[in-house]
Amino acid sequence: MGETIAVLFVFFVLITIGFIFYVKVVKSNIEQEKDEFSQLRSVGVAQRVMFLPELQCSEDNIIKDNCIDILKIDSAQSLMKENEVYYYDLLQFSEVSISQIYPVEAKWEIYSRSLEGFKSKFVTNIPISLYNPSTRRYGFGVLAIETFSK
Amino acid sequence: MDKKAFEIQFNWIFVLVAGATILLFFSVIVIKQKAVSETSTKATVLKSFEAIITGTSVSTDTTSIIDIPSSDIEVSCGRISLGRVSNQYQNLVLFSPALIKGNRLITHTLAFSTPYRATNLLYITSPNLRYIIIGDSNLAREINSSLPSRLKKEFYNDATQIKNQNNYKVKFAVFGDMIDFPKSLEEMPDSDVEAARFTGNSWNGIVDFYAKEKSSWQRKGSSAYIGKASLIGAVYSGKEMYDCNMENIFFRLNLVTKVYIDKTKKLAQDAASKKQFQCSQIYSSSLNHLSSIGSASKFTNENVAVVASAAKSLAEESQNAQVYSCPLIY
Repeated sequence: MGETIAVLFVFFVLITIGFIFYVKVVKSNIEQEKDEFSQLRSVGVAQRVMFLPELQCSEDNIIKDNCIDILKIDSAQSLMKENEVYYYDLLQFSEVSISQIYPVEAKWEIYSRSLEGFKSKFVTNIPISLYNPSTRRYGFGVLAIETFSK
Repeated sequence: MDKKAFEIQFNWIFVLVAGATILLFFSVIVIKQKAVSETSTKATVLKSFEAIITGTSVSTDTTSIIDIPSSDIEVSCGRISLGRVSNQYQNLVLFSPALIKGNRLITHTLAFSTPYRATNLLYITSPNLRYIIIGDSNLAREINSSLPSRLKKEFYNDATQIKNQNNYKVKFAVFGDMIDFPKSLEEMPDSDVEAARFTGNSWNGIVDFYAKEKSSWQRKGSSAYIGKASLIGAVYSGKEMYDCNMENIFFRLNLVTKVYIDKTKKLAQDAASKKQFQCSQIYSSSLNHLSSIGSASKFTNENVAVVASAAKSLAEESQNAQVYSCPLIY
């Protein structure tokens, strides 16, 4: 009787150790997946920003890749502030800014919704051309997208 | 009963109880693990679906075939679910059948341009779903050639040659007079046969939605379409989903129009300062058309007509701008 109880005790101790090990492995997998998901979301937000008709350059409805229309920036900026809930669905917790490097330095904060107490932040910098349709001249700049996650 | 005999009997009962407890413990773990694994697979499929939505919605005029684990994906207004796992979207523009069955998805994207691109329309369907286009007009032929070639689609002048091919769903796109319900499909469940009938041209028109009721068509209501892209949306989806998507599209169109109004004002100011009178005139009339599009912010049949007419005029103004070498609005 005493032997059986001892065997059972050892058996359950082994089961508990195995279970703790399994939970730890699962937890680390979940953390890894969470990290991958955050990166995927960050890439998704960057893709969406680059494809927004509110910012993109076009000539006769033909889209120019990696190009931002300077004449659209100001109204896109105020539009995103006025319709924060709508754009949150697209851009989530992120900060989007455009910096012009050439011919003159300038910076526009397009969208800003940061997350308090965020655990990770992904920054994507995309080199872009900035087109002014009035002067028909191109500038050069960087589109910076920072995404936050907990 | 002496003490030893009792001890042996108790020992057996103890072993039985302990054995049962161990078996129960492992059974519970296996059942729980199975449920977790199923939910996890569904969540993975939904996550892939989200990646597909993001990836395809940022590229226009593309068609792709994507392999997924065999699943039944339910799509409704702003919601995609797989069993009990679901994702909610606030402004999703996705035209698809209410149920996508199978292990492959066909995705297709087109730009919604009135005449400037306001958003991308994403269409998702299953290769097991059968699309039957009926009509002999140019519009019918145009739509047939616009639908992806990998789609299970058939094109007929009339409905007499249609046979039952045991598809889980059949969708008719009828151009012209509504057809009689095909006898060969009478055996199919009512919810599995739908039709959309189009009246109008490639700019705008009316779409009537029908569903099978026993051996005839039951009209489910009508909506307006604007442009080929939204017409194709009605081919893929039912009335409820079509209306929901069109409302989201019109909201988005309204936002993008505000940006173009501001841009046109800036171009007009610049043209005036440079004394480019032809350009100023073009921008001034373009502003009127843009304001008409902006004021028709809700999806109604009347607003569709307003937007279609203003879009046509704006496209003409853009051509004029090209003639006079003025900077283009879009």
